[in-house]
Amino acid sequence: MTDNNIADLNIPFPSKTEADIAYGTLSVDQEPKRGGVKRSLRVEDCILKVHFEAKEIRTLRVSVNSFMDYLLLVLQTIQKFGPPS
Amino acid sequence: MVIAIGFEGSANKLGIGIIQDGVVLSNPRHTYITPPGEGFLPRDTAKHHREHALDILQAALQEAKITPEQIDVVCYTKGPGMGAPLISTAVVARTVAQLWKKPIVAVNHCIGHIEMGRLITGAVNPTVLYVSGGNTQVISYSEKRYRIFGETIDIAVGNCLDRFARVLKLSNDPSPGYNIEQLAKKGEKFLELPYAVKGMDVSFSGLLSFIEERAPVLIKKGEYTPADLCMSLQETIFAMLVEITERAMAHCCSQEVLIVGGVGCNKHLQDMMRKMAEERDAVLYATDERFCIDNGAMIAQAGLEMFKCGMTSPLDDTFCTQRYRTDEVLVKWRD
Repeated sequence: MTDNNIADLNIPFPSKTEADIAYGTLSVDQEPKRGGVKRSLRVEDCILKVHFEAKEIRTLRVSVNSFMDYLLLVLQTIQKFGPPS
Repeated sequence: MVIAIGFEGSANKLGIGIIQDGVVLSNPRHTYITPPGEGFLPRDTAKHHREHALDILQAALQEAKITPEQIDVVCYTKGPGMGAPLISTAVVARTVAQLWKKPIVAVNHCIGHIEMGRLITGAVNPTVLYVSGGNTQVISYSEKRYRIFGETIDIAVGNCLDRFARVLKLSNDPSPGYNIEQLAKKGEKFLELPYAVKGMDVSFSGLLSFIEERAPVLIKKGEYTPADLCMSLQETIFAMLVEITERAMAHCCSQEVLIVGGVGCNKHLQDMMRKMAEERDAVLYATDERFCIDNGAMIAQAGLEMFKCGMTSPLDDTFCTQRYRTDEVLVKWRD
């Protein structure tokens, strides 16, 4: 039993290639060290799965929000300058 | 023929530029401008970059008249700079590099300025004064490193100017420094300010506190006009910069001086530096606002040099870092 707050995101993509690209871009940046948020990403088929864990719900919210901002940017970039061949 | 695209977003400018073998094909830029009296904050600046990145990218490709297939390498600013704006820009660079299957080069922002300055002016081995909103350094090349001879020990010169512009509520359009420069031309009465050169280093924070504290009173009493204060501030801080640059040139027996960075397009700083250079039979090299101020082409240019030496980064190493000193980079592309 853990007293951590948890958030799980499942983001579906049209293909595994696109999910892999999003994973490649978004897995590079680490969560800020002092924030106390743990984040892990993986790709299953066409789905990007993101798991967040944090002691404080406030820092969890900040991390998820910020992740969504970058995710949106990746999606828009793929839409405008993709799709991958 | 090598073509590089560069992504720059370490401060309030978002720029994407394309370079082909030392020729700038395109270099569009969008600046986040805040209301008078306000600076730019990381969160809002990052949002600005995310909102404009794709349009600027489109413009860069269209102006250069090239397709993504023709690009050889994607370059982005690794640091130094503000975290969130850096990451927002890098996210786009990483994504297109994967979409187009291109290698990535991580560029030090300061090195970008130096290499762009050398390309545009043709300076071979100059003593470099790098002056911007976040950095103030005197740099000289030796043994595969750009070595820092002197630097600010607190705030950057551009930060000092920007913050004084806020006190006077000057417009941030096109930049606070530009508006101080214009106002300073009308200044007549000099106010003596603390002059803080410490060996090869400079300090601006005490000077800023001094003038921030007194400016409103002096202006209200009618003793000094805002123009007088702008003139006095510029004269003092530029004299400090010229002094440490001259000392570095004397150390290195250098006959070339190059000014780069956003503050470098200040004509008055260039005039003062030119006078010093002429007295030493040296030559001043400077560029205009297209290349002095942060832009994408400078990242492409430095990245191109690095790419030719094989200095690419695997995708999972393309992170950003707020602190990244100029002398950390091994300059493989120079003798």
